[in-house]
Amino acid sequence: MDSKYNRYLLMGLTLFCVVLIGITSVSDGWLAPLRTGVGYLLIPIQSGVNRAGAAIYEELSDFSRLKTALEENDRLKEEVDALVEENNRLLAEQYELRRLRELYQLDQEYMQYEKTAARVIANDSGDWFQVFRVDKGSADGVEVGCNVMAGGGLVGIVTDVGAHYATVRSIIDDSSRVSAMAVQSGDTCIVAGDLTLYEEGRLRITNIQKDADFKDGDRVVTSNISSKFLPGILIGYASDITLDSNQLTSSGYLIPAAEFGSLQEVLIITGVKETGDAGE
Amino acid sequence: MVWENALKRILIHLGLLIAAFIIQNSVFPLIPFLSATPNLLLILTFSFGFMEGQRSGMVYGLLAGILLDLFYSGPFGFYTLFYIYVGYVNGICTKYYYEDYITLPLILSILNELAYNMYIYVFRFLIRGRLDLLYYFRELMIPEIIFTAVTTLLIYRLLLFINRWLKEIESRRDTTIV
Repeated sequence: MDSKYNRYLLMGLTLFCVVLIGITSVSDGWLAPLRTGVGYLLIPIQSGVNRAGAAIYEELSDFSRLKTALEENDRLKEEVDALVEENNRLLAEQYELRRLRELYQLDQEYMQYEKTAARVIANDSGDWFQVFRVDKGSADGVEVGCNVMAGGGLVGIVTDVGAHYATVRSIIDDSSRVSAMAVQSGDTCIVAGDLTLYEEGRLRITNIQKDADFKDGDRVVTSNISSKFLPGILIGYASDITLDSNQLTSSGYLIPAAEFGSLQEVLIITGVKETGDAGE
Repeated sequence: MVWENALKRILIHLGLLIAAFIIQNSVFPLIPFLSATPNLLLILTFSFGFMEGQRSGMVYGLLAGILLDLFYSGPFGFYTLFYIYVGYVNGICTKYYYEDYITLPLILSILNELAYNMYIYVFRFLIRGRLDLLYYFRELMIPEIIFTAVTTLLIYRLLLFINRWLKEIESRRDTTIV
């Protein structure tokens, strides 16, 4: 009798889940209040635990870091010198650029986006998905579709947002697709995450036109035609570009600019690309 | 009094689930040498299903799954569906359950973990044409299975203890009422 009851319960719950999966596959907007509600309870605990853990870990690693810090300091000083020089040159070019832009009346400015800093407070359980959660939400101006950066490179996109948290799918996730282009030539491609390349720290570049000017080491940025990503954000550098067997397109790999292994703080661009249609 | 007990038990179980969830998502990623994260929620669900039977297992699976589904975007119910079955199926083995018997829970942990990873692989990866099962098996499933099995060894006794303690509270209260 008891096991029969259990079986009915199982069937009921299964039906419940299947229906829910069906409904939420189409639209999951109605779940947002529930998610936000649970977030109110869990986010403070998570960020607290995370902060405490990070503090302990940093304390421990401080000593070992001190040794390498001096060495690094010397190296960085040299780098600063080089950068100052480069900066001077770039400034000069910047003036020239502004003048030329005015000449062309080009009003499109790259990389002038409002950003807000956020801390990573939770990762997805297991290694199947590269999804993480940060401690800023709609109260801080974050919305679904916001681009996320770290270390000067694109990290991912906000897929879900509550009052004080946001879920970010990183570009190394297996289901991530970013419409991108080479800076030098403006030729477009698709940067795709791939779990089998994740260990090597690489992503896949596909859909490069055969005669496009795409070389190893080219800087790859988000493209102007992407509907989800703001243009001109550095993604990484192209490598091993080869012609596909279909003789029509080329593909290769991308070394991301952002460091994904030790992601703790990220910058969220509070502004979503406004386009008419959805899709790539 | 009985209600108070039930409420207390529910709160303790809920606390355990949330603690496991937070450790799994917020503490484990901070530990640098941990190449795979042990699935604590899965351990909790199958352990209590195994100790307490199908119905408790299902309720546990329901709560654990809802927690995961609420936290991650994607179709709601994906994890819940799987965790309910984990609770139910492991509940069947409850007739072989007696305390201090670690072999069966260990085998169950490996089987559950394998099933969990295959479930994700089939419905999230194979469905998108990712056919390289061997790679995923070697690089993702095996490490996670090993870590989870080791964690099961470490915390199963703790769960047994908690379960026994909860039962003790209940029986003590029952006798005072009678």
